[in-house]
Parts: sequence; structure tokens; C-alpha cells
Amino acid sequence: MIAIERNLVTPRWQRVALPIVSLVMASIIAGIVLAVSGHDPIGTYQQIYAASFTADGALTATFIYATPLLFTGLGVAIAFRMHVWNIGGEGQLYMGAVGASGVGLLCGGWPLPILIVMMALGGALAGLAWALIPGLLRAYLRTNEILVSLMLNYVAGLFMYYLIYDSTSFWRDLTSSSALVFPQGKNLLPSSDWPGILLGSFTLPFGFVLGAVLAVLLLALFRFTRFGFEMRVMGDSPAAANYAGMRTRRTIVAVMALSGALAGLAGASQIGDFGHVLDPRGLEQAGYGYTGIVVAALAMYNPLAVVIVSILIGALTNAGFALQGPTFPIGLVGTMEGIILFSVLGGEFLGRYRIRFGRAPARAPGLDDEPGAEVAP
Amino acid sequence: MNGTRRTIWLSAVLGVVAALLAACSSSSTPAPASVAPASVAPASAAAPASVAPASVAPSAAASPSQAASLATPVPSPTLTSAADQWTTSHPFKAAFIYVGAASDAGWTHAHDVGRLAVQSYFGGRVQTLFKENVPEGPQAAQVITQLVNQGANIIFATSYGYQDQLVAAAKQYPNVLFEQATGTEQLTNLAEYYGAGENGDYLSGMAAGAATKNGKIGFVAPFAIPEVIREIDAFTMGARSMNPNATVKVVWTNTWFAPATERQAAESLVADGVDVLADGQDSPTTGQVAEAAGLKWTGYDSDQTSFAPNAWLTATTYNWGPYYINDVAAAMNGTWKTHFYYGGLDDGFVIMAPFGKSVDAATQAAITAKEDAIKAGTFDPFTGPITAQDGSIGVPAGVTLPVYTPTGLSKYSISFFVQGVIGSPKG
Repeated sequence: MIAIERNLVTPRWQRVALPIVSLVMASIIAGIVLAVSGHDPIGTYQQIYAASFTADGALTATFIYATPLLFTGLGVAIAFRMHVWNIGGEGQLYMGAVGASGVGLLCGGWPLPILIVMMALGGALAGLAWALIPGLLRAYLRTNEILVSLMLNYVAGLFMYYLIYDSTSFWRDLTSSSALVFPQGKNLLPSSDWPGILLGSFTLPFGFVLGAVLAVLLLALFRFTRFGFEMRVMGDSPAAANYAGMRTRRTIVAVMALSGALAGLAGASQIGDFGHVLDPRGLEQAGYGYTGIVVAALAMYNPLAVVIVSILIGALTNAGFALQGPTFPIGLVGTMEGIILFSVLGGEFLGRYRIRFGRAPARAPGLDDEPGAEVAP
Repeated sequence: MNGTRRTIWLSAVLGVVAALLAACSSSSTPAPASVAPASVAPASAAAPASVAPASVAPSAAASPSQAASLATPVPSPTLTSAADQWTTSHPFKAAFIYVGAASDAGWTHAHDVGRLAVQSYFGGRVQTLFKENVPEGPQAAQVITQLVNQGANIIFATSYGYQDQLVAAAKQYPNVLFEQATGTEQLTNLAEYYGAGENGDYLSGMAAGAATKNGKIGFVAPFAIPEVIREIDAFTMGARSMNPNATVKVVWTNTWFAPATERQAAESLVADGVDVLADGQDSPTTGQVAEAAGLKWTGYDSDQTSFAPNAWLTATTYNWGPYYINDVAAAMNGTWKTHFYYGGLDDGFVIMAPFGKSVDAATQAAITAKEDAIKAGTFDPFTGPITAQDGSIGVPAGVTLPVYTPTGLSKYSISFFVQGVIGSPKG
């Protein structure tokens, strides 16, 4: 039989070298695909780099994609780290957008700092409340949170559509002439826009700064608090946690709530930083909640790594639109993105585990004690 | 025991991650966003649905014959000396922003046929660019900026949802021309264009009304918005002109393009006992359902006969090519002016797709006669008296709805269903 087992020791240099080697491998494989399909690999890579970072407005655009991914990635990282499988970031993001835009519309004209806090709270609480449903069900009724949180994404999506398309809700614009032609949400007052930080021609979204600060706080929470310690123990061994008298249920609910609040903040940032209006189709098409799972997995559930990975995935998404055109089909863009993601994940996997052929070996005695390093129980 | 369990866990997690990778790579092609969730849950019941989009796209890509059949009335604008600056070494750049995939076999495909017509008409003096699956909303702004950076001289955005970003971009880039399909906003460098698809839908409705045996027709509809509501209204009035007892049952999908969702909607109508299907979607999925169930079908946007040869009746199609050629020529000549173009059957912008083999001669003659009346301007489906769904007066006798007025009832703001429609115009 074939067995997959954990390498007992992961040298520190490997953690840095692996992603680099993986990226090189990815460029080689993608380069072959490009060459075979009649494109110049080097030129394409230069184009990707330019479209991601150096072209006019490119860096700003990269952060438009990176900001929501940072929040949803953090939300997934914290939940998956504890083996609470919250797939519901997408729906929690929708509810966060509903909450934040509702607060923004209600409190239009308030002083901006207060308004930002209110909108962020509105988004975070809405996402939190939505995540509590699968969280409480998992903790107290032992339902499968993967299924419940996933299905609630559809409910949240339909709810958002209901508010704008199928009802005369508070969120819907019923007065402007363009709203007669196509249903749309009410625009927030321009004075409600979250302030971007201008660095030359580059605008750093306020939400990204907020997300980066939260990433640091989350890392501190993981490493230095009792709550973080309990989370880690429960993630690694629920039985040990029970034996030690930890309150498993309470921690599951807390983790789910935190995860949902982060996804809700992604929705709030969509309203405050970028859209300024509840736009169900735009949010649904973007799919930031699902991509957040990929971001978290690539970051090995480490909050600080999520910051970096969200920028990289944001850059890749942004570059995808720049690349595609009459001579560069969209399928090739998707293929290249897939190769890069697969190589990085595959590299991580091969570095952390080894594949053994033959008799199943004795199980490794020790547990990897580095936080954020777990892939599976 | 623990080792085995770990292996199982690992492979399960890896499976999920792999599925997510697939979802992620399609999330940069975000149109079928509803596909992503399905592929996230390989173990759930939703899984089979995720197969549908892929199976539609490739077969749709190879349809050059559609291009040929649509490009009938060829305009011949000439380039003046003012356009001399545009040469093969310094071509004029015309860019297109697509809401779906160029291979969707429907709305976006029809636009792409138009783009290719521009390319072949002007040869090397024009370079066409396009971006497909561009999400509507804030992300569209960056795609517009990228196109401007790539040197686009005119940008055609082919969906209503880009309106806010286009208005902003038109103000930001005064030297670039912008055009938007199906929108309402005009600026000196932002024009609007669309056409009277509802007139074609009236004719499709006639074909459906003649084809139905039990008088029950089903309509798979994207969004409960005036554009779609007036198409359903016209379709229903056409159907009832052939069969006064016919009803049209509407199911909303809340998406332009999501073959899996369209399939579910169409199948629910089939289960409800309709014997003719119609749709206003961007993909031909409804037709494939009709074909499989042995029913009849009227399509939308493009000649989709090949997807359902037995079910096919006819369809409203849009011939964007001549319009694009005219406007690109005007832009190259420096004579481009902002406008609100609303084409129709008369100027060849709206064309009825060829009839299916089951449409008999008498029905064809009736439809053609009505088509001639519309072309001649002696018939407009939205002339009163029109009775609304609830029995009230929708359009009073003697009144013909205007295309668009900023206030008051117009075709662009119609929000009620006519008598014979089953379903709610609120979605």
C-alpha cells in the first residue's frame, strides 16, 4: 500500500526555500505550456509582472483584489487551524456587505472615523451572526459545519438578491432614473468612502491596513494567549483537550464567530473601500469567500503569510485580465494560474510529507509543535 | 489505525483543496460564480451540475457558420483622409468588454461575431481587443484602465452593469470614446446602443404559440428587470396572437450565464407540464433540455439551431457587426458623436434566426407578414390597449410606449406583466 506520512523534522531553511523552488517549477511547467501554445514565455512573464505591479494603476488594482482576500483568508486560516471547517466565508462576506451598507446608509453624514468604526462593526457583526448558525449547530448538535456553512452561502446570496431585486427594501434605490431600468442598491454618500492611503500613484486601501493589523493581532492571539493555546490543543487533539478540561464547545463557537467576523469585514471593506453600494452580482461574480480558502491553504494557515499570499493571488487575478485577449484565450490564463497554485501547494506537501510504498510504517510519535504548520490531523 | 485515518483525512483535505484550486482558477473568470460552490462540495448533491458549463463552452466555440448567417446587411462606411493616421503599423484600437465568455453561444458570442466583423472589414488598420468574463462592479474599472493603457481608442462595454465605471472612465479619459450596450447614460464621449429585441420576441412568441399543443409555454428568464420583462411581455402577446389561451410561465434564474442554473430552471418547467420552452439567457442550455424532453424551443441572441435541431423554432438575434463597423469608421474619421442608438428589424440590427423544420408554412407566412408590418412601422407590440396580468389596463388604447423617457412609462422602464404570463415580475 501507499502511505503518506509526516516528515518528523522540517528544517527552517526549507520553509523559505520550498515556495521559491515551487514557483520556479511552476514557471518552467507553465513556460512549456506557453511555448507549446505558441506564446513567448519570458515576454508573458514580463507582462504578468508589469500588469501585477509596475504598470500604471496596476499595484492599486492588485490591492483591490488582495484586500478582500486578506480578510477571507484570515477568516479561513483561523478556523481551519483549529479544524473547524468554515466554508461559509462567501455568505458571511455577503452578510457583512449587507450589514455595512445598511449602517453606512443609516449613518450617512456622520464624522468619518465614527462612521468607519460603525460600518466595520456592522459588517463584522453581520458576518459573525451568520457564522454562528453553523458554529452553534456544530458545537451543540454535532452537525457537519462544512455542509451547513456551505449551504448558508446560497441562502445569503439569495437574501442579498432579494434585498435589491425582489423587494423594495431599505437597501434598494427606487428613485434614480437608472434604477428604473435596472435594479440597484442605494449609493452611500461620497463622504462615507473609507480613505485610501496615497503613496505616489498607488492607493493603499484602508481595509488592507486594517487587515494587516488584524493579522498581527491574530498571530499574537495564536501564540501568546490561553485562548490560542486551547485552540491549538483542540485542533491537534480534541480528546486531549477534553481530558484537560477545556471547554471545547465554547471554543468552537468562538472560533467560528471570529472567522465569520473576519469574512464580514471583507464585505464591509467591499462597501467602504470600493463599491459604496450593495451590489449582489458583483460580489457573487468575484467569489472572494471561496478564493480565501485557497489563500489560507497556501499560507499554511499562518496569519502573516496570509498577508503576503493575498497580495500574490490578487496580483495573479489582476494580471489575468491584462493577459487575456484575442491572442491569449482566457482558458490559458486559468491554466497558468492553476499550474502556479498547484505547484506551490504540491511543493508544500512534498516538503512536509513523504510518500512511502510498502507496509504501513509505525506512526510518528511526536506532533509538530510549530503553530500554523498543520495541514491535517 | 491512526495511520490509516490520517491518510484518509489527508486525501479528503487534498481533494477539497484541489477542488478549490479549480474553483479559484475559474474565479478569475468569474461569470459562472455559482459554479464555484458546486465544485467545492465534491461529496454533495450539487456536484453533477458543475459539469454543465464546461460541456457547453467548447462545442459553442466552433460555430463560424453563425458568423456567416448573421452578417447579412453589410454596411460600407468609407474612411476619409482624416483616418490616414491609422495604418497597419499604427492601428486604431477598438476594445470590447464582455460580461460572459466569447464562446457562450449567446449574447457575448453575438458581440464577438461583431468584433470579428470589424476586424475583417478594416483589416490591419484596426486592432480589436477584448476582455471576457469581466465582473460588473468595481473590478471593471481596472479592466477599463488596462484597455486605455493598451491604447484603446474606443471601448464597447456590452452589459448594463458597467455603467457606473464607464461614466467615471469617460470623465477620466476624455480622449477615449466609450459605448455601452443596454444602458441609459450619455456623455460627450459616452454613447448608448441597443435594439428592439422585443419585436423579435413577439415573432418568436408567435412561433411558440403556434407550436404549443396544451397551451403551456415556459420561459427561463434572467433578471426581473424592464429589459427582460418587456421581452417576456412581447413574447406572450405574440404567443396569444396565435393561440389566445396560451400561458407563459416564468422562472427566474438571477443570472445571465450559468448553464447549471438555467438547466434546473428549464427542467422545473418541463416537470410542470409545458410543451414549449423559451429563454432569455446567454447560453443555449434551455434548448438542450427541450431537445432531450422532445419539446419545442425558441432561443435568444444567436442562431443556436445546432444545439437542439429538433426542438428549434426560431430566435431573436442581434447583428452587432454593422453597428460596430459604422461606429469604428466614424471614430477613425473623427466624425463620431454621442448618440442613443436603438436598432430594429427594419435596419437589420435585429434579425430573426432561420425557422426550425417543425415550423409549418402557414405559421412562417403569418410571422413574416407581422415582421414586414413591424419593419414598415405599421405595427408595434406595445401599442394599447394592453391588459396587464392582474386585469388592469397596462397601456391605454391609442398609446404606443416610447423607447426611453427619464420619467414615466417607457419600454425601458416597463415593470408589469401582460395577461397570460404566470409568475411575478418582481422575481
